[in-house]
Amino acid sequence: MALLEISQIKKTYGTGEVALKGVDVSVEAQEVVALLGLSGSGKSTLLRCVNRLVEPDSGQVVLDGVDITSLGKSSLRNARRTMGMIFQEFNLIDRLTVLENVLAGTLGVTGTLRGIFRAFHGDDIQRALELCERVGIIDHIRKRADQLSGGQRQRVGIARALMQRPKILLVDEPTSSLDPKIGREVMDLLKEITKEAHIPMLVSVHDIFLAKNYSDRIVGLQGGEKIFDQTTASVEADSFDQIYHEAS
Amino acid sequence: MIDAAIANPLRDPKDTFRRYTIFGVCAVFVLAVAKDIIIDETDWERMGTLAEMVKTALFFLPEWSFFPQTVLPLLETLLIALWGTILAVGVSVPIAYLAARNITPMPWITYPLGRGLIVLSRSTHEIIFALIYVSALGLGPLPGILALATRSLGFLAKTTAEAIENADPGPIEAIEATGANRLMVFCFGVIPQIFPIFVGNVIFQMDINIRRASILGLVGGGGIGLMFAEVMQNLYYGRAGMIVVGITAMVVVGEFISNRVRERLI
Amino acid sequence: MKENVSLAFDRHRSEEMRSGLWKFVGLLLFIAFAFWSIDVLKIPIERVLGMFGRLGTMISERLLPPEMAFAAQPRVVDSIVETIEMSILGAVIGTIITMPLAWFAAWNVTPSRAILFPLSRAIIVVTRGMPTLMWAMVLVAIFGFGPFAGMLALVKASIGFAGKLMAEQIEAIDMKRVEAIRATGANELDVLFYAVIPQVWANWVGIIIYNWDAQLRNSTILGFVGAGGMGLYLREQISIIEYQTAMAIIVVIIVMVVLSETASHFLRHRLY
Repeated sequence: MALLEISQIKKTYGTGEVALKGVDVSVEAQEVVALLGLSGSGKSTLLRCVNRLVEPDSGQVVLDGVDITSLGKSSLRNARRTMGMIFQEFNLIDRLTVLENVLAGTLGVTGTLRGIFRAFHGDDIQRALELCERVGIIDHIRKRADQLSGGQRQRVGIARALMQRPKILLVDEPTSSLDPKIGREVMDLLKEITKEAHIPMLVSVHDIFLAKNYSDRIVGLQGGEKIFDQTTASVEADSFDQIYHEAS
Repeated sequence: MIDAAIANPLRDPKDTFRRYTIFGVCAVFVLAVAKDIIIDETDWERMGTLAEMVKTALFFLPEWSFFPQTVLPLLETLLIALWGTILAVGVSVPIAYLAARNITPMPWITYPLGRGLIVLSRSTHEIIFALIYVSALGLGPLPGILALATRSLGFLAKTTAEAIENADPGPIEAIEATGANRLMVFCFGVIPQIFPIFVGNVIFQMDINIRRASILGLVGGGGIGLMFAEVMQNLYYGRAGMIVVGITAMVVVGEFISNRVRERLI
Repeated sequence: MKENVSLAFDRHRSEEMRSGLWKFVGLLLFIAFAFWSIDVLKIPIERVLGMFGRLGTMISERLLPPEMAFAAQPRVVDSIVETIEMSILGAVIGTIITMPLAWFAAWNVTPSRAILFPLSRAIIVVTRGMPTLMWAMVLVAIFGFGPFAGMLALVKASIGFAGKLMAEQIEAIDMKRVEAIRATGANELDVLFYAVIPQVWANWVGIIIYNWDAQLRNSTILGFVGAGGMGLYLREQISIIEYQTAMAIIVVIIVMVVLSETASHFLRHRLY
C-alpha cells in the first residue's frame, strides 16, 4: 500500500461550486507527484482535503495507515503534525521574525503555554537554525518576515514545513507568486530536501515545464476530475493538450 | 441643497420638487420642536434679564489660584481613565474572540452573546454604569474604573472583532496546518495581524476615557468630577471655571498625544 | 557550516535572555505602578475582593426586574419626548453653526489662514475637550433648569463632534475643482458653494445624522444635572433608592440609543 492513498474524494463548496468529483491519487514513499491543472481544476482543494483544511464531503484519505478522514478534532491535529504544508502565498506571519515563523512549525508539539509565550525548546531552536542554514536564510533570522523577498519568504515557508518532521510534504503552487528563475530555485530546493529527508511530496502546479522537470509522476486534473495519471516519462503531449486546450 | 441643484441644471424637476418637499417638512418639524423647547418648556421669567445672565456667566471666569488644588484630582482622573482602559483591554479580547464571525467557537451561541455584550456596552452612557457600580460598591474611584472598563470594552471588542474578520486567512490556515490547537492558532495566526489596529484603538479609547473619567465624580465615581460637584454646590463658580479649564487642557493634550502616537503606528 | 548555526544559536539565546530580562523589568514596573495607583486612588482592596458577589446580589435582587410601568407614566413619557426634541434641536442648531466653522477650519480652503483658521480650530478643539455634562451644569447655573440649557449643551457637543469630522472632509477634497473655479475669477464664497460643498455634501449629511445619534446619547443623561429630559427621573429614582424604577429608565435609554443607532445606520446607507 502506498504511503498516501486518496480515494473518491468529493467536495462541493457552500457556494454550490463543485470542486472535486471523486478523485483517486496515491503517493508512494519518496515519490514526487505533481498535480497538474488549470486554476479551478481542484488542485488546491485536493491538497487541502488531505489535511482537512477543507473538509471533504465524501471519500477517504489514508496516510501511513491512518484514516485521516475519520479522525476527531484532537487526533486530526496530531495527524496534521505529520504533514508539512507549503503555500502559494507563503502564508508567513508578517510581524514575527523569520526564526519565529520557522519555529511556528513546532506549535503542534509545543505545549500551549510555551507556544503562547514563544518560549520554544532549545532543541527546537537548534533544529530551526539548522533548517534556516539548509534553506539559505540563516543571515536573515532576526528580520521580520515581511522584509524578505518572495524567494526568501518561500524558503521560510519550506523551513517551517520541515520543522514538523513531516512524513509527507503537501505543496500548493509553490512558485506561482515568484519569478520563473526564483521559482526554479525553489523547486530545486524542494526536490533536494525531499531526497535528503526521504519523504514524498504532493505538489500542485499549473506549469507543464515544472511538472515535467521535477516530478516522478503527473496527475492531470480538469474540472474536478482526474483525466490522466502516468509516470512523468510516459506522459505524452496529447495529455497536456487535453488539459490546456479542451478546458470546457 | 441649493448648490446641488445649481451644480446640475439638468436635474429632473420632479426630483428637485421632492428635495424641497423633504427639506420643507424637516424645517417645519424642527421649528415645531424649537417652539416646544425654547418657548413652552423654558421659564423665561425666572431666567431674568440678559444682564443678569451675563453677570452669572462672569462668575465662572477661572479662579487661577485654585489650580494647585486641582492637580491631585486631575491625576486621579488620569489614573481612573488608564485603569479603566487596561481592564477593558483584558476583557475585550475574549469578547472579540466570541464576536468575530470567522473564529467564534459556537456560532449559534457565542456569536450573539459577544455581539449582545458589545451593544450593551456601547449603547449605555458611562454615567449609567457608574450609577450601578456606585450603588453596589459605594463611592470612590473603584466603581469609576469599572464603569469606564464596561463602557470601553464594547468599542474595543467591536473593532477587534472586525479586524479579526478582515484578517488574512493565509497565516491562520498555515498555523492550522501545523496541527496547532485553537488557542495557538489565535495567538500566532490572528493576534500578530490585528496587533497594530488594536493598539491604535486602545490609545484612542484611552484618550476618550480621560474625558469620560472627568465626569464620573458627578455621580460618586471619583476623580475631578467629585470636586466639580462640590464647588458647584457651594457656588464657588470661579473654582468650577478653573476645573473646566483644567480638564479641557488635559483632554486636549491627551487627544494631541493620542493622534501623534496613532499616526506613527500607521 | 555547523559553526554558523551554533553561533546563531548562542546569539539567539543571549538575546532571548536579554529580552526576557526587559520583560521582567517591565512587569515589575507595571506591578509597582498598580500598587502606586491603588495608593493614590485609595482603593480599598478588601472591597475589590468581595466585589463580584456584591455586584451579583445588587443586579439580581435590587435592579432586576425593571418596573417598566414607571416609564409609561405621562410625565415620564413627556420627558422622553423632551429628550428627543432636545437632541434634534441641539444637533440642528449645532450643525448649522458647525458648517461655517468647518469651512474656516479647513486649511486648504479657509478664507483666512491667519485669523479665522486658528480661531475656528481653537473653538472646535476646546468644545471637543470640555466635558458636556459639566458644561451643562454651568449652563444650568446661568439659564436655570430645563431643556434650554440642555439644548445649548448639545450645541456645544455638536460643534466639537461634527466640527472635526466636517473639516477633515473638506481637507480631503479634490483641489483641482477648487482651482478650476478660482480660475474663473470667483471669490471665496463662490469656491465654497461651487467647489467645496458639492464634493463634501454627501459625507456631511452622513456626519449630520451621525451627530444627531451621538447627541441623543448625550441628551438622555443631561437631566441628571437638571438640564432637561428623562435623566431627571433617573436621578430622582436613584436618590430615593428605587432601583427597579431607575432600571426602567435605563432600559428605555438603551432601547432609544439602539433604535437611533439602527435608524442612523440605515439612513446613512440609504443616502450613499
